[in-house]
Amino acid sequence: MNQAAPAPKENMGNPIPRVDAGLKVTGQAGYPADLAVANVAYGVLATSNIAKGRISALRLDKARAMPGVLDIVSVGDMDGVDKPKFGNTGASSIGPLHDRTIFHDGQIIALVVAETFEAAEEGAMQISADYTQETPSASFDSAGAEMEPAAGKSPLFKEDVNAGDFEAAYSTAAVKIDQTYSTPTQHHNPIELFSTTAMWQGDKLTIYEPSQNVTGWKIELARQLNIDPVNVRIVSPYIGGAFGSKGPMTARTAIVAVAARRVRRPVRCVVSRMQAFNTQTYRAETRHRIRIGAGKDGRITAFAHEGWEVTSRPDPYVVGGTSATGRMYDYGSVLTRVSLVHADRNTPGYMRSPPETPYVYALENAMDEMAVALGMDPVQFRRINEPQKEPIGGKPFSSRSLINCYDQAAEAFGWSTRDPAVGSMRDGDWLVGMGCATAIYPTAAAPCAARVRLTADGQVRVQCGSHEIGTGVRTVAAQMAAERLGVDIDKVAVEMGDSALPPAPVSGGSISTASVCSAVLKACEAVREKLFVAAAGNDGPLAGSGNAKLDMTNEKVVTETGKSAKLADVFKAMQIGAIEEYAEFAPNGSSPEALKKLYAGQAEFHGGDQDKDSVKYAFGAEFVEVRINSYTREIRVPRMVGAFAAGRIMNTRTARSQLMGGMIWGIGQALHEATEIDQRHARYVNRDLQDYLVPVNADIKAVDVILVPEVDHEVNPAGVKGLGELGNVGTAAAVASAVYHATGRRIRDLPIRIDDLIT
Amino acid sequence: MRINGQVYNLGLDNRTSLLDALRDHVGLTGTKKGCDHGQCGACTVLIDGKRVLSCLSFAVMNEGREVTTVEGLASADDSLHPMQQAFIDNDAFQCGYCTPGQIMSAIGCISEGHAGSEDDIREYMSGNLCRCAAYPNIVAAILQARDEMRRA
Repeated sequence: MNQAAPAPKENMGNPIPRVDAGLKVTGQAGYPADLAVANVAYGVLATSNIAKGRISALRLDKARAMPGVLDIVSVGDMDGVDKPKFGNTGASSIGPLHDRTIFHDGQIIALVVAETFEAAEEGAMQISADYTQETPSASFDSAGAEMEPAAGKSPLFKEDVNAGDFEAAYSTAAVKIDQTYSTPTQHHNPIELFSTTAMWQGDKLTIYEPSQNVTGWKIELARQLNIDPVNVRIVSPYIGGAFGSKGPMTARTAIVAVAARRVRRPVRCVVSRMQAFNTQTYRAETRHRIRIGAGKDGRITAFAHEGWEVTSRPDPYVVGGTSATGRMYDYGSVLTRVSLVHADRNTPGYMRSPPETPYVYALENAMDEMAVALGMDPVQFRRINEPQKEPIGGKPFSSRSLINCYDQAAEAFGWSTRDPAVGSMRDGDWLVGMGCATAIYPTAAAPCAARVRLTADGQVRVQCGSHEIGTGVRTVAAQMAAERLGVDIDKVAVEMGDSALPPAPVSGGSISTASVCSAVLKACEAVREKLFVAAAGNDGPLAGSGNAKLDMTNEKVVTETGKSAKLADVFKAMQIGAIEEYAEFAPNGSSPEALKKLYAGQAEFHGGDQDKDSVKYAFGAEFVEVRINSYTREIRVPRMVGAFAAGRIMNTRTARSQLMGGMIWGIGQALHEATEIDQRHARYVNRDLQDYLVPVNADIKAVDVILVPEVDHEVNPAGVKGLGELGNVGTAAAVASAVYHATGRRIRDLPIRIDDLIT
Repeated sequence: MRINGQVYNLGLDNRTSLLDALRDHVGLTGTKKGCDHGQCGACTVLIDGKRVLSCLSFAVMNEGREVTTVEGLASADDSLHPMQQAFIDNDAFQCGYCTPGQIMSAIGCISEGHAGSEDDIREYMSGNLCRCAAYPNIVAAILQARDEMRRA
């Protein structure tokens, strides 16, 4: 067994290799821009070079005259097309070609369509515009930026959570801190470029585009184009990384569809890396003020978390992570407040662990500061404040294995060897620091449908309109079907990433494994039921086995007393060739309309802090060692250990990989990633992979992932808590704590760079 | 130009990159576009056995050369190259988009003699970004394949 395939512990599935691994290592996996299209024309975007104002004149003549240019779609060409809507499915309400207003730098002003990519690109470079310019507001401190309370502005953030009398408790606390923290603008930068390919056949439109939400997009695109959703199909069989960026549909999709209709042939638009920074979503910068008051015994009596987030001028995008930070520990009182700051920027969107990554970073950095203020070991400080119930609503946790995670990770890391004195650990020229932090992510699920077909030869086909963004959801769906139907996984084919399949929710919020596996499980149970009735019936091969419990294994129906019948014989008795079942799963507590909404592309999430009986979260503990060169202040992370408990683990291989990738994302958050903004022009300046830093292979050494067994029957029928977004929560705070331990420098503004540590 | 052992006679725009030639004109879409600026490594191919970023090479510059892409690695009987198998065994990818480039780069890294140690591999594979961050698994895969390729 290699490291990539950990031996399963209690309540964990086998580390089966990804079912699509062979396609991915041979170049045969078809990502949307790979799919062959006959007679395709190429589209290239032209974008604005101001951030605020109006287009007074658009100069297209030179572009039109370029050899090979077929058409240009620009302002005024969207007649009959409705503007995008901001919300769960739409990235922004800005319809860039609907009017002449410029809301942000790099806004789409035209799409050039040509016979070749080269001609389209040259055409786009020939487009220029005159603008009536206004001075843009770039960010928090810019003149003209507008602040408002976030509560109630988004259905995802209804209110600020509070408990008890914070002010009274804080004013009398024996030990307290009051600090501010910040996280920078960040872009997802999946390695696959964003793209749209649009094809019309009569009034039927097919879109090839990397998407985390094919059903939602189908509905939203049909609404914008004023056509029947039945005539729209979104195809996205493989997705080259998403991290949230391919969840909301952007304005481009309808623009390319309009272009394809005008030139009467398919159009493929692959967006350049640079243009993606402005035409897709991103994680906006955040600021935090945290106040913690505690007794000398380390018990927290008062906790306040205020957050500020940047969004675009028209759209109230909120992440609002105080819901999680306010429930993290056994605070005596809680005060939270989230504010939005509107600036002249493209609308942000969700990026891996949207609320938790910035908010828990601030909380956990503050927790470490508080432990220092108390003169207490940071693990012990968290142990003292471990709650029996969450402090906001007084509800129990459906399960909470945080302390177990801390124990296992601390042991593997060797936390006991840490000398708590700042700057006390050294190895030659390197200052050594150790830090830790808590990871938390809400456990949710959403309605999902799936179709499962079993044929007499034991072949299984699973169909579900979910999305393989690299999580391994195809693999775990196959595992679930193979296990319940008693066949080898090689006999299971899984189809996903197509709005023609049974609908699944958006692949975001770490809900996919729970939602998809629960639907597949339900469909498999229905197949089993039909087989069992037939097998044990009067004409069945297991007739006379009475009420014996039946199961399926090795392509047989078996009784608990050891009798068995081959699948082929059961099908023969039934005189049919296949059983196909369509199942709809809805989480406990779903509204009566939840399943109807699924078909309308609206995922109704349940779980997290939303449920009446309990709150549902997955937890982890992360430990990091940093080494800082005493001369150059170069910062390295030679090793990190994370222990995570997330209910049933379907596949220890894919689970470990996701958590490991998340922890490395955490290193990126801590040390590398930041989109720099020219404050004068509200313009991103490092719009490529050379200057937008992400971790590379040489940045990463030992990453140890411990899967902590946990059983939770309350969360959903599959017993699964999501973990795709758990791994990178807290990591940056663990790094910041380790940097403090090594140097005595408390860095509160991410990322931590060499220049922060030079005297 | 020879691509994966087969001769192609292509009439191309002189602005066409080798990457776009492979993807849009030859139909070999295994080689990926991630930045088009030589910054991510997803488009790595072997030219006369050496790793090259195909987005930074005009197709016409490669007249008469031997280009190997990820589609050309498996043997005639479809059995996988040891590097491909090692990537599967070690779960050296998640979304799989950077994977063809990683695999081609890894083969180049070994043939250059830059896979002697884990640190060497990390350094010489740092031109290939993996946003899913499978890096430790990529290093493990290259170690496995290196030893198998030596034995072969």
